[in-house]
Amino acid sequence: MTLTISKISRRINQNWIIRDLSFQVNKGECLALLGPSGCGKSSTLRLIAGLDSPNEGKVYINDQDVTDIPPVERRIGMVFQSYALFPHLSIFSNLALGLKVRGVSEKQQIERVSSILSVVQLEHLSNRLPSELSGGQRQRVALARALLRDPHVYLLDEPMSNLDAQLREELRPELRRLILKGSQPVLYVTHDQQEAMAMADRIAVLKNGELEQIGTPLELYKDPKSFFVASFIGRPQINKLPIKNNIISAIRPESIYIDSNGISCKVIETEWLGMNKLVFLDSNIGNIRMICASNIKINEKLSISWDKSEELHFDATSEKRLT
Amino acid sequence: MKKNYLLITALLMWSLAPFLWQVYTSFSTPEALINPLLKVGNRWTLENYIQVINSEPPFWRYLINSTIVGINATLITLILAIPSAYAINKVKNKIAQSLKVLLLLASLFPYVLLFLSLLEIARKFNLGNSLITLSIPYAALSLPLAILLLSSAFKDLPKDLEEAAIIEGIGMFQRIRWILIPLIAPATASTGIIVFLFTWNEYPIALTWISNIDLITLPVAIARIAGSSVYSIPYGAFAAATVLGAIPLMLIVLLFQKQIISGLTQGAIKG
Repeated sequence: MTLTISKISRRINQNWIIRDLSFQVNKGECLALLGPSGCGKSSTLRLIAGLDSPNEGKVYINDQDVTDIPPVERRIGMVFQSYALFPHLSIFSNLALGLKVRGVSEKQQIERVSSILSVVQLEHLSNRLPSELSGGQRQRVALARALLRDPHVYLLDEPMSNLDAQLREELRPELRRLILKGSQPVLYVTHDQQEAMAMADRIAVLKNGELEQIGTPLELYKDPKSFFVASFIGRPQINKLPIKNNIISAIRPESIYIDSNGISCKVIETEWLGMNKLVFLDSNIGNIRMICASNIKINEKLSISWDKSEELHFDATSEKRLT
Repeated sequence: MKKNYLLITALLMWSLAPFLWQVYTSFSTPEALINPLLKVGNRWTLENYIQVINSEPPFWRYLINSTIVGINATLITLILAIPSAYAINKVKNKIAQSLKVLLLLASLFPYVLLFLSLLEIARKFNLGNSLITLSIPYAALSLPLAILLLSSAFKDLPKDLEEAAIIEGIGMFQRIRWILIPLIAPATASTGIIVFLFTWNEYPIALTWISNIDLITLPVAIARIAGSSVYSIPYGAFAAATVLGAIPLMLIVLLFQKQIISGLTQGAIKG
């Protein structure tokens, strides 16, 4: 099973929402669509689901052109950020409704819903209304609904953005176990680079509706094709050094170390990261972020350095990577 | 706290005063209404109610007539308005937009201007003297406002819900029936009550379309009581009839209180 997007574009009036976007998600692969809000990632998902149609380009599911096929026949398992559970129906009915309209017998409906509820460990809540469930439980019902669809493709639209950080971490293994382990291609939309790194086999970074770079998390981190990708991937954010000869140099905070022969700086701010501290430094080359041992204090004087080979260089006008 | 309580009581009295006056009048003897010095023992009477209830045909007949017309008109309105409201909300082009403006204009149009031409239509097509046909103009006049109210209810529903249903493979009619109609129930209830209230109170069309005394609706019957004598106006009986006519409305409002309030405030707060 595969999902292929070929040169799709969509515009509303004169504004391009998505422009000439192509990528493929292979069998069993999870591709994260990553980008700031308004970059076109949710719009791409809607085009694949068939909720909108592209102005140009084609969508293929299992090599079949589905561009003009209605959403029902595309067999999509979709999970919404808002969960989109039907608020007036019990959890059981929420899950059974789709089976019912697809002509599954009543006995089968009960069997399949109860088995999927036990997979997501919510059997005991089948008679409750969605409003009586916690956010995490609702999201698991939404996952169960997508699973029941027995889809060709999974589309997850910011599936965990409405959950708090702890629940997100609890749900990640669940999501892997339920959906990512399958043979279906999974498209995972998120604006959170950490989540994309954690969940996806590959990441596609979008900017203003265009594909900025696509690759494995490590590739994007080590070998960003543009300054946008370099600053979007990796936390704390990469340091931008002063522009010289129309070249942007950048260095990751984790590559900087303390060196008595290096550039002298003053600590202006610190943030706890747990084991160590994120330290904000003031120097004659501007503000620098680095990661330091926890005994660093504000107003302390430091000298820092880094390996020149760790620096990344970008053209200052196009912001593209220079090699 | 105490100050608030007084303020609320004052507001309540302000709103309820006309109705309380009506109730007071309905239990008063004719003498009591013109002579404030009359002794307390001689002021009160049930005579007005007895007179209204024992009239020929009996008063409950009009209540039933009005209820039949009201339920009919409300059902016709809702059955026609729900699909149109859904459609007008779905179609996003200039035609739908101008249609909304037209509906707004229609709902603001003073319908009283139409009653003569409606009477001509009733005569031409022989629609007079029937409670069922009387609900047709009522439904027609209520439709514009009903469509507008319901379309804003559809508009306030989260888009994700319908899209989730589309992806599940739930067809349009099933979606409307199983997902959307239950979710706009509060708006449907308040719209239904607005339509019912209109038919319950409507006078000129009811007066001109129905001449058979057994089929007249409440407002017409009440007006007949007021005009029943050349020499006096029977204020007491008149008041008693309006009190009786208001009771069903109060029951409906009490019954659907929750739906009406959530319907009226829908869209005020994001869920």
